[in-house]
Amino acid sequence: MKAIRIMSLLALVLILCTAFCPLTSAHRVYVREQVKEMQIKAWYGGGYPMAYADVTIYANSTSGEELYLKGKTDKEGMYYFTPKLGVSGYRVVVEATGHRAEKEFDLAGGSQETAELPLYMRILAGFGYLIGLAGIGMIFSARKLKKEYGNK
Amino acid sequence: MHISYGVLSFPVVAVGWCVTLALLAITLRWGTKDRGIAEEIPKVSVMTGAFFVASLVHIPVPPTSVHLILNGLLGVVLGVLAYPALFIGLTLQSLLFSFGGIDALGVNTMNMGVPALIAYGVFRTGCRRGAPMALLGAICGGLAIFASAILMAICLITTGKEFVDVAKVAVASHIPIMIIEAVITGSVVAFLAKVEPEMLPVDKEDERR
Repeated sequence: MKAIRIMSLLALVLILCTAFCPLTSAHRVYVREQVKEMQIKAWYGGGYPMAYADVTIYANSTSGEELYLKGKTDKEGMYYFTPKLGVSGYRVVVEATGHRAEKEFDLAGGSQETAELPLYMRILAGFGYLIGLAGIGMIFSARKLKKEYGNK
Repeated sequence: MHISYGVLSFPVVAVGWCVTLALLAITLRWGTKDRGIAEEIPKVSVMTGAFFVASLVHIPVPPTSVHLILNGLLGVVLGVLAYPALFIGLTLQSLLFSFGGIDALGVNTMNMGVPALIAYGVFRTGCRRGAPMALLGAICGGLAIFASAILMAICLITTGKEFVDVAKVAVASHIPIMIIEAVITGSVVAFLAKVEPEMLPVDKEDERR
């Protein structure tokens, strides 16, 4: 009988211990997420990858922008880098033989894709401008002709 | 072939703009001197359109990518008016396709426009001497690209010594374009000489004499 009482007492103590344990050692705990690798892809218009292009990465923190990494893309135009802990804003500059592209992004907010017109729309826009310019030129020459004939 | 925004040093950009503005004024005046601009506008517009779209034809030349330029063709067909045409085309390309940059527009127009003028000069003198037109066109097409590549290399090298390798690669990668454009310009000129000889600036001047 005595043994059972001792046993149940011990069990009670144990349960209490486990129950109070987290409370007693309640240090404040921090968690930080970390993106381990960023992929940068660079390609020319037409889809051909920018191979072996120079990549420069600037880290945008609250203290301003600073040079973070320099490197080269691989054969597929890819470049990988590990982001700096605690810095989410980056600016990437890719440069090759006079071609240059720049992109700014935020790991927290995702990539901010600037809305761009599709290619065929841009071609049409270009032709539109050309026709407009031709029209303006025509107006001027028409005015000139009118003057000439008016004088005659 | 386009030099992008922020690559070149300030003096090179400034020289490019000065040359371009001066040549724009001269070519516009010269090109519309004896024939009214009304006659030229449709032709210039069509060729500018061709130039504007040709840059989308990409040819992968590892490790870079090059595209058609057609400045030789513009020079041969438009004469001195190729310069303003290239300026308009390049402006549209930089605004709509983000090829090159607005600040580099002066340099880019110079790099492509001056060879176009050279091509025109070669074509005209060649025609006067009675050389076959198609062959001359092909030579001019190739020559214009070659001159453009050399000019671009000079611009890059004067900006900084670190661009020497880049410039070499850029010139080498334009060799295929040179051949392709020689073929295109040659065949276009041959076609025009047969079908629409008035399109070529040379014939008109010869007829007048």
